[in-house]
Amino acid sequence: MIESFAAVQPAVVGAVLAWAGGVKLFGSGAAALARRTALGRLAGPHRAVPVYRTVGSVELGAGAVLVLPPALAAEAVLATVLCAGLLGYLGYARLVAPDSPCGCLSERPTPVRWRGFARATVLLAASGTAAWFGGHLTWADALVGRPMAAGTLLLAEVVLVLALSPELDAHWLLPLRRLRLRWRHPLAGTASGNGVPVAASVQQLLRSPAYRIAGGWLRSDVLDSWDEDEWRVLSYSARHGEAPVTAVFAVPRLRFRPADVRAVLVDEHTGDVLWQYTPQRSPHRGTALVRVDGPSA
Amino acid sequence: MSDNLDRRRFLNAAVFGGATVVGASALGSFAPQAAFAGLRPDADPHPELDPSLPDPNFAEGRITGIDGAMLLVTGSDKARHRIYATSGTSVWKLRPATVDEARIGDGLYARGVLLGDGALAADAVWLNIVNLTLYITSVGRDVIHFDHHGERVVGHVVPGTTVAVYNGTPAVTDLTPLKVGTHVQVIGAWRPDTNEVDLATVYAVA
Repeated sequence: MIESFAAVQPAVVGAVLAWAGGVKLFGSGAAALARRTALGRLAGPHRAVPVYRTVGSVELGAGAVLVLPPALAAEAVLATVLCAGLLGYLGYARLVAPDSPCGCLSERPTPVRWRGFARATVLLAASGTAAWFGGHLTWADALVGRPMAAGTLLLAEVVLVLALSPELDAHWLLPLRRLRLRWRHPLAGTASGNGVPVAASVQQLLRSPAYRIAGGWLRSDVLDSWDEDEWRVLSYSARHGEAPVTAVFAVPRLRFRPADVRAVLVDEHTGDVLWQYTPQRSPHRGTALVRVDGPSA
Repeated sequence: MSDNLDRRRFLNAAVFGGATVVGASALGSFAPQAAFAGLRPDADPHPELDPSLPDPNFAEGRITGIDGAMLLVTGSDKARHRIYATSGTSVWKLRPATVDEARIGDGLYARGVLLGDGALAADAVWLNIVNLTLYITSVGRDVIHFDHHGERVVGHVVPGTTVAVYNGTPAVTDLTPLKVGTHVQVIGAWRPDTNEVDLATVYAVA
């Protein structure tokens, strides 16, 4: 039993190693990635690419030897040494260049995190099992001998390695999450709110003729805002000469009509209005800001 | 509170009532063309003399002490700042707020005028404000998970406050067009010493 379980391990470890080697040897962006990895730091910028390619060749070779028959104990020992080396490399990368990409299984830059360590540990355990308990049974023999047990184990390990590969999230995890959002969006409650945010009024203010004149006098961000029928009133601190005054803007609340924005400068100590901007009336009704349907209404 | 309501009523009367304008000539011409003719009275009252020197009218750091309306701030360069807030100072903490909402440990940006005693009389104070370009990795109930160069950032959706701007159109409260696997820009309020932010505005493509 244990021997046939051990016999399928080289298939998993070998496939992952061959894949990693293939990425390093044949990836179109492999050279650029090599310089950014912790391996590039370890080997120096000039040797980064040759060293990266050499590691890739070793991985591809070891992977091929592991997957192809015959099954030799020495192969499993070699794989164990490689996986231990990978774990050591990840530790080194985490220590000296924590934000550098791993460069392991994909050209997608993925910093070394716990999933990378977990994957290397799984591979180390798998190759260690093969080295310790393995005989001359190949993985194909094991699958033929015990198709259910060995097949299930093989499948489970492949799924585990895929799940522990952050590089591959974009291929399965994000599409699954996207599907879930289409099925039932957790933030669907935000769609029904038909209030107009203050940010929308500020955006409208910034495009208004009143702001083009008064914007240069403002000294503060929004001090206060409140609604007055169809209007949203925004107040700001402003400077009139050396005297601090208050700028008050009335922005159409439910429609996007920047030309209608009214403005005054008020001295709150004396109550004097120092300046005002009253727009000319025009028949244009503007764009509704309260959405009825569709995001661009 | 009633002071605030009185103030709003007074300002309403000013902006909606046909108030008589006093001393308007002191501000020069108010035709829109004047803005383009460089006639704005104090368009640049403090011209920058040396771009390599820090702006004396700006301060940043973490609040290390609060004494009434004065905030004691230690900058990221360990410089100490004293910042005065008045009733004319705008305070932002996720939304327009008051200086009472400042807490020790809050991150701070302040802009104002440097006083003779070295304190900064603040015109505007922003507390814990962050501006991040993020990648949406997951959307949950009241929370959006982001990736920021390999680091996880948790964004809390605050009902009634969090808004989104899609393709530069006016902000809306609807967050359902946000998609997993896309990049967004986020303005939010950092929860000090965590990787969590309360979301104010999410800029996205939809």
